[in-house]
Amino acid sequence: MDTSKPAIFVNGALLPMHVRKRVRTVIQVVGADRGAIVGKSPDDLQLVVKGSPPSAPLSNFVEVIGIADSEKSIQAEIWTNFGEVFDTHSYNQLCQLANGEYQHLFL
Amino acid sequence: MPVNLTPNAIATINDGDVNLKPLVQVLDIKQMGSAQERFRLLVSDSVLTQHAMLGTQLNDRVKTGLVKKGSIIQLIDYICSQVQKRKIIVVLNLETIIPDCEIIGNPKMVSDAPAQNALPNTNSMLLSTVGYNNLSSQSHGSNMHSIRPSLSSQSHDGKMHSFRPTSSTQNQGGKLHTFQPALGAQNYGNDVQSFRPTVQPPYQPPPSYRNHGAVMKNEAPARIIPINALNPYQGRWAIKARITAKGDLRRYNNARGDGKVFSFDLLDSDGGEIRVTCFNAVVDRFYDAVEVGKVYLISKGSLKPAQKNFNHLKNDWEIFLEATSTVDLCPEEDGSIPQQQFSFKPISEIESAENNSIFDVIGVVISVNPSVPILRKNGMETQRRILNLKDGSGWTIELTLWGDFCNKEGQKLQEMVGSGFFPILAVKAGKVSDFNGKSLGTISSTQLFINPDIPEAHAVKDWFDRGGCDVASMSISRDIVQGGPKNEARKTVSQIKHEGLGRSDKPDWATVRASISFIKTDTFCYTACPLMIGDRQCNKKVTRSGNSRWQCDRCNQEFDECDYRYLLQIQIQDHTGLTWVTAFQESGEEILGYPAKELYLLKYESNDTRFADIIRSRLFYQYLFRLKIKEEMYGDEQRVKITIFKADKVSYSSESRYMLDLISKVRAH
Repeated sequence: MDTSKPAIFVNGALLPMHVRKRVRTVIQVVGADRGAIVGKSPDDLQLVVKGSPPSAPLSNFVEVIGIADSEKSIQAEIWTNFGEVFDTHSYNQLCQLANGEYQHLFL
Repeated sequence: MPVNLTPNAIATINDGDVNLKPLVQVLDIKQMGSAQERFRLLVSDSVLTQHAMLGTQLNDRVKTGLVKKGSIIQLIDYICSQVQKRKIIVVLNLETIIPDCEIIGNPKMVSDAPAQNALPNTNSMLLSTVGYNNLSSQSHGSNMHSIRPSLSSQSHDGKMHSFRPTSSTQNQGGKLHTFQPALGAQNYGNDVQSFRPTVQPPYQPPPSYRNHGAVMKNEAPARIIPINALNPYQGRWAIKARITAKGDLRRYNNARGDGKVFSFDLLDSDGGEIRVTCFNAVVDRFYDAVEVGKVYLISKGSLKPAQKNFNHLKNDWEIFLEATSTVDLCPEEDGSIPQQQFSFKPISEIESAENNSIFDVIGVVISVNPSVPILRKNGMETQRRILNLKDGSGWTIELTLWGDFCNKEGQKLQEMVGSGFFPILAVKAGKVSDFNGKSLGTISSTQLFINPDIPEAHAVKDWFDRGGCDVASMSISRDIVQGGPKNEARKTVSQIKHEGLGRSDKPDWATVRASISFIKTDTFCYTACPLMIGDRQCNKKVTRSGNSRWQCDRCNQEFDECDYRYLLQIQIQDHTGLTWVTAFQESGEEILGYPAKELYLLKYESNDTRFADIIRSRLFYQYLFRLKIKEEMYGDEQRVKITIFKADKVSYSSESRYMLDLISKVRAH
């Protein structure tokens, strides 16, 4: 595991707190808009993911890691297909844990 | 509203009347008895008072306040009896006429003890004609005598004076007599009204009395009394009741030899119920004579304490019929006796009921399973059929039908449900079982009524039709204990050892999330008997018999092909430790994903590399194991044996939620 460049777990609501930092989240792909991917965050907010998606087609759920370049967009470096089914509720809880009381346990 | 209490009611009742149905007033209520709750009333006819015991079936009237101090009540069924030389009225049925009323008149206590200081009294003289029958022991040759009660007051509150009649014979052979109460000197001139009792004897008097003749037996028929008034201390009684259930003729064999017995249940117009049992010769007399649903007059027979483990009727007694007993059919239908008596309880109440308790329930049959043969412990085969019942309490319960119920009522219900009807089923006397949650089962005295024409049935049907059918309801049977203490107790591997699970009498159950770290493959299955016993496979281990055939010792048969069943020894491991567990057929297949026979053939006959690959592919997978943990003796050594009851691949989503929930609980502390 690469610990040199930690990425913070975020959902849509937490993203604004980490602008210009390295973040990770899982989006449900909604569509594409002017070269960027539009998706839904685990807490049901709309996010824009920029950067170059992999050549393989994106699955329904995609994990993206990159720099939060605004309160609603991420400049992604790593794209990982997470498949067609994903428990966004648990992931959202995880994001809250990673930014709350147990923050020190996360990279 | 002025009320007139029935004049002379107390004196009349004391003299044996049972038909007057008088209006009396309750002056006092006292709770008596320790073993059984009873109430004693002090009742007044405005002149005299007398103690009256309430039949226990009337206790509710007192508890609900229908009968309280001051109430005017009408005595409907009652009898005056002598208890320890004191007369007391036993009230079997009554109606409240006015719930609350001021004390009427200035009644005095009546007492049977002879007056010591009976003084003649000039204040008031009462004259009455008394048709008094031979109650005094001093009467000879005459059934008409004078009675001279004397009142002597001892208390000074003007309310509770004692009335002490002396039954001395003064006037032998006379025709008209004076009834001459003497009021005590300290009686402050209360207005005592005159009364004219019309006294009736409890039975028709015997035709004649002679001075020194033989004692005549009273041949008059015994009076009909309510079932709830039956007790072992009455000589003569008769009851009029409907037969609500008739048991099968059973033969038994005990130390005293062979015998036969049958019993039937009675219900009378007051809602009293009692079981009647006949043995041997008495069986022959009555077995064919009694018919369910008909009304009978029953007399003579002994009362014995009810066998509560067989008899669930609300009566402490049971009638044993004898050779002299009579059971006579009442030709005319008596509409005052209901066909059946139920005390329905909502299904929700059964959840907290004790095992083996008896319940009446009514509900909608929402599903019926087919009937299956079951091998009983004694080797006999019986039928079992499970159906689901739902009621307005929002719960469903499993009802297990046994034996004949499966084919009679069970078959009918299955056909009805199968063709889209949801019949109403009333269950009389079902037994609560706590196997798999709580369920209800039939016993020999259970009765089932499909679509009975009773108000409760219409109410359930109405509820069901108006949307009750769509209400999601929880079952109190089976797995409703999910997350409950028994099966879902999450443990780690080390907790099994450290908490000493399995050391008690009953096995412990635990759910463990662990990975398989090793599967023993020298012997992973055994050769099993494929024959069917009832609806189950025998599954006993079989051995080679000589050539190529297999032999089962239990079935005592040989066959060419045997079955292979898993007997897997597995090591499972989590972050706390490692333990050996055993998986049998079903869980073995859940883990390995192949039938045991297929793997056996792979290993020994075709391709043992492929076999090794399959085994290896199962290692380090996480499972949720439901384990049964029990200490057992192996030779003279105690060993904790852990069996896999169920093995489920971990669902990451639900496991995540489970862990998130745990974290939130940690945070709460």
